[in-house]
Amino acid sequence: MARTNVLAPSAELREELRRRGGASAQRCFQCATCSAVCNLAPDGQPFPRRQMLMAQLGLIESLAADPAVWLCHNCNDCTVRCPRDARPGDILQAVRSIVIERLAMPHWFGSIVAHARSTWPLLIGLPLAFWVVLLGVTGHLTMPARVANYGQVVPHVLIYAVFIPVSLWVLCAAWMSGVRFWHLLGSAGPPRRGSFIGATFSTLGEIASHRRFALCEAAHPRRWGHFFLMWGFIGAAVTSGLLVIALYGFHMEMPLPLDHPFKILGNLSAVFLLTGGTMLSFQRIRGGDATGQTTAFDSFFLGVVVLVAVSGALVEIGRFFFSGEVAGWLYIMHLTGILTLFVTFPYSKFAHMVYRTEAMIHQKMTEEG
Amino acid sequence: MERIGVFLCSGCGIGEALDLEAVKRIAEELGATCTIHPCLCSEEGVAALCSVLDDGTNDSLVIAACSPRSQCRVFSFDAEKTTVERVGLREQVVWSHPAGDEDTQAMAEDLVRMSIARMGEEKLPVRLEEEIADPVLVVGGGLTGMEAALAAAGMGHPVFLIESSDHLGGALSGLPEVLPVAPPYDRPHQSMIPALIEQVEKNDRIRVLLSTKISSIKGQPGQFEMDVEGPAGAEHLLAGAIVQATGAHPYDVSKVVGLGYGSLPDVITAAELDAMLASGRLARPSDGQTPKHVAFVQCAGSRNSDHLPYCSGECCATTMRQVLTLGRDFPGTEASVLYRDIRTPGQLEHLYQAAQEQPGAFFIRATVRSIEGSGDGRMSVALEQTLLPELTSIEADLVVLATGMVPNSADGEAIRMLHDAQNRVEHGESDVQKEEAQKIVDELRAHEGTEILNLEYRQGPDLPVLAYSFPDSHYICFPYETRRTGIYAAGAVRAPMDPAQAMEDAWGAALKAVQCIEAAKRGEAVHPRSGDIGVPEFFLQRCTQCKRCTEECPFGTLNEDEKGTPELNPLRCRHCGICMGACPERIISFPDYSVTAVSAMIKAIEVPEEDEEKPRILGLLCENDAYPALDAAAQLGKNWNPWVRIIPVRCLGSVNVVWIADALSRGIDGVILIGCKHGDDYQCHYIRGSELATTRLENVQETLDRLALESERIRIVELAHDEFSRIPTILDEFAETIDELGPNPYKGF
Repeated sequence: MARTNVLAPSAELREELRRRGGASAQRCFQCATCSAVCNLAPDGQPFPRRQMLMAQLGLIESLAADPAVWLCHNCNDCTVRCPRDARPGDILQAVRSIVIERLAMPHWFGSIVAHARSTWPLLIGLPLAFWVVLLGVTGHLTMPARVANYGQVVPHVLIYAVFIPVSLWVLCAAWMSGVRFWHLLGSAGPPRRGSFIGATFSTLGEIASHRRFALCEAAHPRRWGHFFLMWGFIGAAVTSGLLVIALYGFHMEMPLPLDHPFKILGNLSAVFLLTGGTMLSFQRIRGGDATGQTTAFDSFFLGVVVLVAVSGALVEIGRFFFSGEVAGWLYIMHLTGILTLFVTFPYSKFAHMVYRTEAMIHQKMTEEG
Repeated sequence: MERIGVFLCSGCGIGEALDLEAVKRIAEELGATCTIHPCLCSEEGVAALCSVLDDGTNDSLVIAACSPRSQCRVFSFDAEKTTVERVGLREQVVWSHPAGDEDTQAMAEDLVRMSIARMGEEKLPVRLEEEIADPVLVVGGGLTGMEAALAAAGMGHPVFLIESSDHLGGALSGLPEVLPVAPPYDRPHQSMIPALIEQVEKNDRIRVLLSTKISSIKGQPGQFEMDVEGPAGAEHLLAGAIVQATGAHPYDVSKVVGLGYGSLPDVITAAELDAMLASGRLARPSDGQTPKHVAFVQCAGSRNSDHLPYCSGECCATTMRQVLTLGRDFPGTEASVLYRDIRTPGQLEHLYQAAQEQPGAFFIRATVRSIEGSGDGRMSVALEQTLLPELTSIEADLVVLATGMVPNSADGEAIRMLHDAQNRVEHGESDVQKEEAQKIVDELRAHEGTEILNLEYRQGPDLPVLAYSFPDSHYICFPYETRRTGIYAAGAVRAPMDPAQAMEDAWGAALKAVQCIEAAKRGEAVHPRSGDIGVPEFFLQRCTQCKRCTEECPFGTLNEDEKGTPELNPLRCRHCGICMGACPERIISFPDYSVTAVSAMIKAIEVPEEDEEKPRILGLLCENDAYPALDAAAQLGKNWNPWVRIIPVRCLGSVNVVWIADALSRGIDGVILIGCKHGDDYQCHYIRGSELATTRLENVQETLDRLALESERIRIVELAHDEFSRIPTILDEFAETIDELGPNPYKGF
């Protein structure tokens, strides 16, 4: 938190929050019902009452350095119970999107993703165009009559040639933003004392089990949606890694038979992704106070996730049921979705993976006793 | 009364629980006729009551049935022809004590004996018939005064509307917009003042007297005679009732050190901002620049024990109105509201919510420590107790102080004390006396010349004030009713309030004024004993001019002649009997409530011999709160000690200490008085009655100690109406104490 004696209240943040679905902060009259009902708020540092005040006064610098913004899991227990309909859940959600944009490296890319409401065709169209051009240039745009092996559509070497550099770049960008955030967190509040390793392991354990998410009351069903989605992603990532080893280490023949352990893991991941994606999409479509406001920033990320999961599933069955043309283009769409997801990772809602984890580690390290 | 008819009702289980034949024998032994009826409140029962009155068998009735608080309409008779005494056998005997028990029976018999004895001492009241003036005098031509004038005129009464300034409109004059008075309550409301002025001026029944002061008011409700002094000279007016709507003025905030008002040109009051907004030009007084950031300081001097200890309940809403007007008329101007708590009562909450949504408005909870110039032409407002520790000050171009309301009242009692002291300074007997009087004069000098009504009342020329100089009576139970019968306070002079409340108040007070005039025409008490016709009689041959009655009457009913003999103004009287309780010579009595009547009741109680080990306790209960509470306890099936004999009294203030002497000398073992709460949040219907009783009882207890009689035999208890579940415990505990003390040594003498 900025330690200035004169805090100049500013109305600038209000417009920014309004644009991001947080128009209601001004209704808050600081009764602290929200902090009282929040099951996630640590006893010594309750939230989101204080964060609502900072939002009202436009103190974005303070908010950007506040771990509470990320310790919030958007359960919306506060929004459901708020007597003034000030919707703290929406405000913190909007603040998070501001923080993601502010910490983005490079900043201009963060702004593009932050404006997903108007830029989404670009964010999906450009990766699609990239694949089409790449395949055209390398002479792979003619589809076989029947796809026996997707290597026929896009050679594996092209995939790795694209995704390995992209992953490295994205990890690098996320790393830089993460480091900035880690310093910000450390700049205010109580000093960190505990062990970083211990706090990290304990945090990862919590994330794996979704123990904190389970404390949500209003948004309880979201816990399972998120749980399936997260484990689906981890499963898919592990499968991808294993496939690289299988391809280049053991020169296995693709596609793998359906009873191969790698295949089973991949398919299980797909089922998890589809289940989680469906549950979360259903929640968003149903809306209501327990879900909170759905902005383009939320829909864009969830949309891409669903695109990847659904196109992935269709690609798998396409090999058996669809013509080569259809299956081939589905595969290109699938790769497009993955590319969008990768490229926007540090700038979209996906980035919560980094910031929330950091905030949880920070909290554990600063906790008393 | 001579021909007493006792009617015992055997309905509602009374007949099964008591031996009514035995009660009947007692009544007949005492010379009354007695009838047992199965259901007195039925048509046949009432017909039986009427027939004995009509045929002259009886001139007064003792109805021993249910509580006097039930079936009031059924058992109501012409008060000028018949006196009625109700004995609450059902609640106070049968429902609260075991059926068929010897003690229960004794209780019922005693209660009937007591009522017969009382009836023997009662007389028929005579209805006052006086010439009553119809007009209502409204003092103050602001929102409340004009609204009250229109209300009274609308009810057909002529109105004199007196205003000391040269125009109508009061505190809201010149404001284009005021706080909302109608749905949706979320924006400023166009001022209603111009339209009201037009209506008042057009109304044939209302006579407006501008630039006019009241030189004197004498008389009583229905007969107020006023001398007023206006531009056209002196005038003599007659009115039946008075509404005082003199409003309030903002607290002088320059007294609050640290806020910079008076020393920093850009610190202004809410009223000054209103003038600015009305002119359409928002400019800093120092340099004429348009301020970009305006800070509103709430509770400027309010809720502060050194200044105004109370919340005016209106200043926050006014700030909301100003924030909304600023946002609408001067877009881009930012406003910070520095508040301790936002208090926008009632519908004004909508205005608060609207102001919160204003794009440039900030609500910052803080206590303002000081305001200082920050050198660059701006001001720095130092904050304490904010909700963010790092928020210790804010900068502003203009600071607006939200000031509270101070009533435009005059403290009648203080003015009288001042005049008395001035008199003693001039004509005092000794130097010591003169010195003491001078101290009082110095202390009260601020009240010199503050008179508004100039009443020719012995207790002072203006309404007595309560806390913080607001001249109200009891603000929840009896709004508008001041301590001067026929004079009603309305609007911000009564309590701090917003325009919507003031308009409602105006109607309330106008209705009270009209009610008072109508009651005076019928010769009846107006409130709280509405409809009662018996006024007190003074046997002045025996008066010693001790002035206790004229001093202690809470309503200033009694004036004095030069010697100090009381002069009764019967239409000012509320029939509480506090004068009767005060009089050491016992020369004051009501036809149907007197020292002798209650003494007779006490003497009618059969006191068992010492060896019977059945003590007797006299309970004197205030009929407004304690007596109904006892009924409520009985209705809930509570039991209490059967040694207690209850006499309801109009007010504990009407209890004459001779009753206690009577009781103790009769061998009664203890006396308990239960009355209303007193103190700042008093609940006494007669304001000071229970307090006076407490003081008088303390004196009696001292006397008892001197006589070697335990002062514990007398107890006074405060009880609110809703504390009915406590009352059996109070009686039982007192009975235990009496039992421990042993029998009254005077028993049997």
